[in-house]
Formats: sequence, C-alpha cells, structure tokens
Amino acid sequence: MRIGLFVPCYIDAFYPKTGIATLELLERLGQDVDYPMDQTCCGQPMANSGCNKDAAAAEALFVKNFAQYDAIVMPSGSCAHHVRDNFDAIPQTDEVRHVRKHTYELVEFLHDVLKVEDFPWAEFPHKVGLHNSCGTLRALRTASMSELGEPFFSKPMDLLSKVKGISFATPKRPDECCGFGGTFSVTEEAVSAKMGVDKVRDHHGAGAEYIVSADTSCMMHQQGCAERAGVPIRFIHIAEILNGARE
Amino acid sequence: MSARDTILSRLRDNRPKPAEHPLPPVARLGDMDNGQARFENSLQILGGQVLERQEGDTLATAIARRFPDAKIVCSAVPEFDGTIRIQDLASPQQAATVDVLVVRAPFGIAEMGSIFLSEAQLHNLNSAAHLTQHIVVILSPADLTANMHTAYIERPEFKSARYGVLMSGPSATADIQGVLIRGAQGVRTLSVWWD
Amino acid sequence: MKVKPVNHARAAAEFIEDTPHMTFHDERLWDLRQKRDQQMHILPEWQDLRTLASQIKEHTLANLPEYLEQFEANARKNGIHVHWAADAADHNRIVGEILEKHGAKSLIKSKSMVTEECSMREYLEPRGVVVTETDLGERIQQLDDQMPSHIVVPAVHKLIPDVAKIFAEHYHTDPKDNDAQSLAWQQRLAARPVILAADAGMTGGNFLVAETGTFVVCTNEGNADLSATVPGLHIATLGIERLVPRMADLGVFVRLLSRSALGSPITQYTTHFRGPQEGSEMHVVLVDNGRSHRLGMEEFWTSLKCIRCGACMNTCPVYRRSGGLSYGAVYSGPIGAIIDPTFNERKYSTLPFASTMNGSCTNVCPVKINIHEQLYKWRRVLAEHHELPFVKREIMHMAGKLMGQPKLYRAAINGTEVALSAMPRFVLYNWLNPWGKHRELPHPVSQTFHNWYKKNRVDAGKAAPKATAKKGENA
Repeated sequence: MRIGLFVPCYIDAFYPKTGIATLELLERLGQDVDYPMDQTCCGQPMANSGCNKDAAAAEALFVKNFAQYDAIVMPSGSCAHHVRDNFDAIPQTDEVRHVRKHTYELVEFLHDVLKVEDFPWAEFPHKVGLHNSCGTLRALRTASMSELGEPFFSKPMDLLSKVKGISFATPKRPDECCGFGGTFSVTEEAVSAKMGVDKVRDHHGAGAEYIVSADTSCMMHQQGCAERAGVPIRFIHIAEILNGARE
Repeated sequence: MSARDTILSRLRDNRPKPAEHPLPPVARLGDMDNGQARFENSLQILGGQVLERQEGDTLATAIARRFPDAKIVCSAVPEFDGTIRIQDLASPQQAATVDVLVVRAPFGIAEMGSIFLSEAQLHNLNSAAHLTQHIVVILSPADLTANMHTAYIERPEFKSARYGVLMSGPSATADIQGVLIRGAQGVRTLSVWWD
Repeated sequence: MKVKPVNHARAAAEFIEDTPHMTFHDERLWDLRQKRDQQMHILPEWQDLRTLASQIKEHTLANLPEYLEQFEANARKNGIHVHWAADAADHNRIVGEILEKHGAKSLIKSKSMVTEECSMREYLEPRGVVVTETDLGERIQQLDDQMPSHIVVPAVHKLIPDVAKIFAEHYHTDPKDNDAQSLAWQQRLAARPVILAADAGMTGGNFLVAETGTFVVCTNEGNADLSATVPGLHIATLGIERLVPRMADLGVFVRLLSRSALGSPITQYTTHFRGPQEGSEMHVVLVDNGRSHRLGMEEFWTSLKCIRCGACMNTCPVYRRSGGLSYGAVYSGPIGAIIDPTFNERKYSTLPFASTMNGSCTNVCPVKINIHEQLYKWRRVLAEHHELPFVKREIMHMAGKLMGQPKLYRAAINGTEVALSAMPRFVLYNWLNPWGKHRELPHPVSQTFHNWYKKNRVDAGKAAPKATAKKGENA
C-alpha cells in the first residue's frame, strides 16, 4: 500500500513537529509513505466560507497530488471531513472519487486500516484531556457522541490506551466545540475565544496536564486562548504521543 | 385567487415527491407497563401528588385534611358534594373563586402521570380546571393506559372531546432564572385520589 | 434603503462582556441539554422515535395540500372557523377583523412564535386592542419591549434582578425582590384579573391533526388553557407545517417534544382543541408566510419539520454564549440561522456564519433536521448571491487562487516578495487582527514541515526510515 501524506497548511507552517511525527509513525509501522511536494491545501477554508468555487483550484491540485496513492492520510480530522464529505467544487471524476474514498484521518487509519495493536516505543507519563474535534466526533465518527446516547467508543482513546503511563482527565463537557470553526475564529472572535477559554479551563479543571487531539487547528486556537488567559496547560497532537514523544 | 388557493397551489408546485416519503405505520413503542406504581412515579416527577388516604378516610375527610383552609370546594362528580356543584357555577369569573375542584378523569397515562379531562367531566365549564387554586382528580387504576402511544391509539376521547386536556401535575414555570416553580398560572397543586 | 445585515458578532461580544448574565445563560441552557440527555437515556426507543418523527413530518410536508384540506374540512365540521393567511399582513388583518366583529378590545394570548413572526402586537395595538402576553417569560419580554430570546424560554437571558426591576416598573412591586417564587406569584396576581376580563383569547399551537381537525397546544403555565377557555372567543394561529396526519402520530411527537425542550417527560398541559366550547367561538388561522416557498427549496425544505423544541439552541455552544437577541430575529440559534434567511436573505446573511458547524444541533434535533449541513449550504447560497462581506469574499478568492499554485503558495509560506504580489498582506492581516484580541498567535518555528521533509527525506534520498520500527522498541 502506497500512502500519500497530506500535511495541512497550518501544520506545515506552525506545527511541523506534528507532520514529522505523523510521517515517522507511519514509517515505523512499516508503511511506504510519500509526501507530494506540490501540495497546498484541501480547499476547506474556501468551501466552509461558502466560496465553494474558490475551492476548485485547491481541490484539483489535491487530486493531482494524491490520485496515485492507495491511501491518503492526514493528521487532521477537519481536512479529512472536507475531502470525504464536501469536496465537490470540481467535477466528480473517477480520480476524484478514488481520492475521496481513500482519504483517512490519521487515527482512523491507524485504528481501522492498519489495526495497530501496540506502540511499544510510546510512553507518556502524563494526565491528558482528549479533545475530539467536531469533524472527527460528528462527521468522521471516530468516537461516540453524547447527543445520541450511543454506547461509548473512542478510536483515539483506544490508541492512546496502548501508550505506557498515560492517564485521562474527564472534562465536564467533553463533546463541546472549542470554538475554532475556521474563519469563525476571526469573524466571531469574541464567541470563539470564549468557547476556547471555557474549553481549556474545563480540561485544566479536570486535572489535565495536556490537551491531546487529532486536530491541530483546534489546538492552535485553544493554545492561543490558554496562553492569553494564563491557563497552564500544554498541547500535543496525538501523532506525537503515538510516535513516542515524552512531553 | 384567495389566500387559500394561492397557498394550496404553491404547495402543490413546490412539494417534494409524495411517493418518496411514505407514511410509517402507527407507532406503538416503549414500556407497556400501565401499573399504578409507574403512574405515581411519573406524577411525582411532574409535581403532582397522590392524595393521602388514612384508615377510614373518605374523599371528603382526605380533602378536608389536605386543604384545611379551603372555603369553596367545588364538585364535578356525583359521589361528592363539596360546597358547590360545578353545574351551579355560572361563569369563569365564578369559577375563579373556587379553592378546590374535584373531578373524575376518564383515564390516566402511566408513562407521564397525566390525567385527561374534557368538557364531559367539566360540565362545559372548561376554564374551571384552570381557574381553581387546587384540583383533586379521581382516577381508577383500571383506567390507566401505558404510554402516549397506547393512549392515542386506545382512548376514544381524543376523537370525541371538543376540549381535551392532559394535565401532568400542576401548572409550572421556570421562566425566572431557571427556578422551577410549581403553581404558575393554572392550578397550584394537582392531587390524584385512587378510586 | 438597503437592509443592513444583523451584526451578530458585535451583539454577541457585548453579551459576553456581561459575565454574570452570560455565565448563567450558558449554564442554564447546558443544564436543559443535560436533562434532555437523561430523558433520552431512559427511553431505549429514542432514536426510533426521532426516525419516525422525521418520516411522519417529511411525509406530511410532501402531502401538505391534501392534509391541509382534510384538516380544514374536519375542523369546519366541528364548528371551527378556518382562515388562510398567505403572509403576515393577511394574518394580522384576519385577526384584526375577528376581534373587530366581536368588538373585542382586550386580547390575552399565550406564546406563539407565529404572532411574533407577523409582528401582530404592533399591528393590533394602534388599532385599539390591548394585547397581554400571559406566559411569564413572554410577558417579561413584552414589558421590556424585547423579542423572545429563546423559542421555549423567552426570557432566559435575564436574571432575577432584571425581572424584579421590570415588574417594579409595571406592577409596582418591590424592585429589590430577589425571590423567583414571589415574582412568579406577582405575575399570577397581575394576570388573573386581565384574563377574567378579556374579550378574546389567543394561542399558538404545536400540532394540527388532519384526521380529526384538532389542534394541540403544549404548555406548562396553564396560561394557554386560560386564554383559550375563559373568554368566549378563541383564536389560534398556526403555521401550515404544524400538521400531522393521524391522531396516533401525536404519540411520537408528544413523547419527544418536552423531553427535547426542557428535559421533562411532557409539558404540564397538552391540550387538544377539536371544537369550540358551548356558547363560544373558535377560529384557526393557517399561516403560510413563506413556508410554501421554503417547501420548494431543495436543500432547505426539511427545516419545515421543526417542532420548535429549542433543543438545538440549548446545545449550541455559540447560542449559549451569544444570547438569543444577538441573532436579531424572531427565530434565533441554529434553527433560526437556517430559517431566517428565507425571510430576508440580506438581513440574515450573517446568521449561517454565526456557527462553528459543529453538528451538535443536528444530533439533538428530535425530527432529525440536518441543521449544520443546511448552515453549510446556506453559506454557499449566500456567497453565490453576493451576500458575503467584500473583504471576506476577496480573501477567499485570493486564497483559492494561491492554493491552486504550489510554487506561489510555497513562496508565500516562506515569506518572500512573491507572496506580497499574490496576497495583499495588509488586507489579510487587518482581517485576521481579531485573532489576537483574546488569543496569542501560534509560536514561530524555524522551518516548515515542507522544508524539513526536503532536507530529511528528499535530499537524504528518502531511504532514511523504513526499518525504524525496530529502533523504537527499546525506547
């Protein structure tokens, strides 16, 4: 299986560690991973703003970059959600359909496709609060949501539970959106920031030393809120923990 | 074209394809327990109560104990006199002076602790059920239906009454800072007397 | 004159500034959401009920003309006067005429979103009709000259001292009264004489039953039943989408409604009106006001399934922190954001963006309206209809172009001169400025992932890893 790695723009620019951890982790797991050098963005920011036509160029480029791979993996739930569920600014050719069908968010790829049983190199002796982004929770369905009253399941928790020394904090509102919301974070900055600070306080109050998530965009926002509000909590992408980061 | 015809023709033009949206069969789901205990539990959740029955109690003695200050006790049932009969209330204004109204419900719903009243029980003075300060409802355990599905399927009153109210406990509000208050604008208490 | 879009962001920011109110608002509605969850957990058939409710509503909407005719015929047979209102003006005129015919000068009413939608009070009052809201929350809002901020709990954004102040002004009660119980009692005392003296009563309604010509009103305070039964004239106003085909269908909806709304199993009163009481008159006004048009909107017609429970508002993290009034519309919150633009696209063009599209609303909706997906679709429609702010539109256009050109994009990311020519940074940065108001920016890093990859994989011959799984085992 040839894997194309997609590293979203904000991870590329601000959180390269997350991209590196994703790549290294997949390589450790014996996967044949490529990072197409011409990649930019999946088109989500334009599409979510309603400007779907403006997403066409990004989507076309995405397909050009990734059509040749058996699986396209990305450390971002919201990007995976966009490609899989909303990627329709361009004509739906066989290539496009192939790309959409074989796009995976990292956690679901590890959990459902590779079915990874353990991460012997991973140890994270900290109490973490798991933040499921709304894309992973309610679109990709990698965890049960409280709205439906369904039996508990959590793919990220399943993976993290295989990490030595880790323990979990239980926030009061685990499924509440953190308020990032793409351009919402600037057009509705007051609500966005309030949601963010409430989110980090909830985790901190539950005893979390770290917030861990499969979505860096949520954490970029939460980290900004935590630092401004002086909430002492750290942030780490799930890929980094699974790849053996100690802190 | 009349508003009626305009609306109907626009609806016909705009509606989704009826064939793609079949009507599911009538639902009959959920807990089918129609027992007294379930009813009482539900009634209490909604703030209603069972009128206490002590050894040797009649409805009259139980009401007298429960509502010692009641001056006007109005009866809408033949087996109990009260101080006035509902047939003798001439108007809602007069009904508004009632302290306790005693009425018989044709049925109750165990799931909700609801009791049903219509113009038949209220002798066409429907407002009496809401203007009285307190209401005592006589109910027979044999007249309990399990849940909302069975109620609507089995009880003919829904299709015959012109006014049919399911009362589930007393009136209530939480409109001021979320504080739950039992006894808003309608009855302040609702008590069930098992018959 | 051009209508200005509602400035939700600004109103929300002001609401957040007021910490006691915002905190209570958030916690109160979150509590309702949790109570709703508890009810859901009690019923193993919850998801079946939602599916059924959705199917019944979709079926009804697809057969609406026939069911409306059936309702009308049955209601008439039972002695109800049935009226049809194509729009708000029609509605208000019809109600005005009924009142005039009876010489009715005082109208008591229970909560009705349709009358809010039609601005009925504003129509009737200059015509000499005194309209008194009898629902406690709605009355508070009327006295304070505000729209309801929530469709179920209209004054949920207020605290006890706010109510005490309003009641002191209008009911001459103690402005320092700090007891909700006592304030509610004041409302009861103030309302009773008005109710007993009223010439006419008005209610909204939750359901119309085609099979029997019944309409159903679900309330808690008892004020709707008082408004309907005390005066000899009862006018009920309902949207045409309130229909269900069969009496037995109510079982599904009544079981869902209050559980979704307030987390109580049922409203204290569920009242079925099938005909006038002896010696009285009963009117039903069936209101379209844009609904028949909405039925033809392929992506949005299912919003007509809404049973007005407010569960989407209670769960919405944006609504809880911005308050209902910030939406500047009769219908606020997630459901409002997908309905309001059908009334006025420009005015409410901002509302579909007042959301993170997190999807919680969709999953609590008892009739399974895909609210967050409709928000997404509305954004597209609004962009296509040029209802987006110019700067946002331009940025997305430029960003979209840039994202299609990897070399330009790479240069922009690396911060070279090329970036400046591709993206006017001052525009972008002005627009992004709000990020920093309550938040820090991400920390700068020494190299992008792209550069790291080039150095450590491409230039290194990409051979590097593969067998590293072994290496990690000792770690």
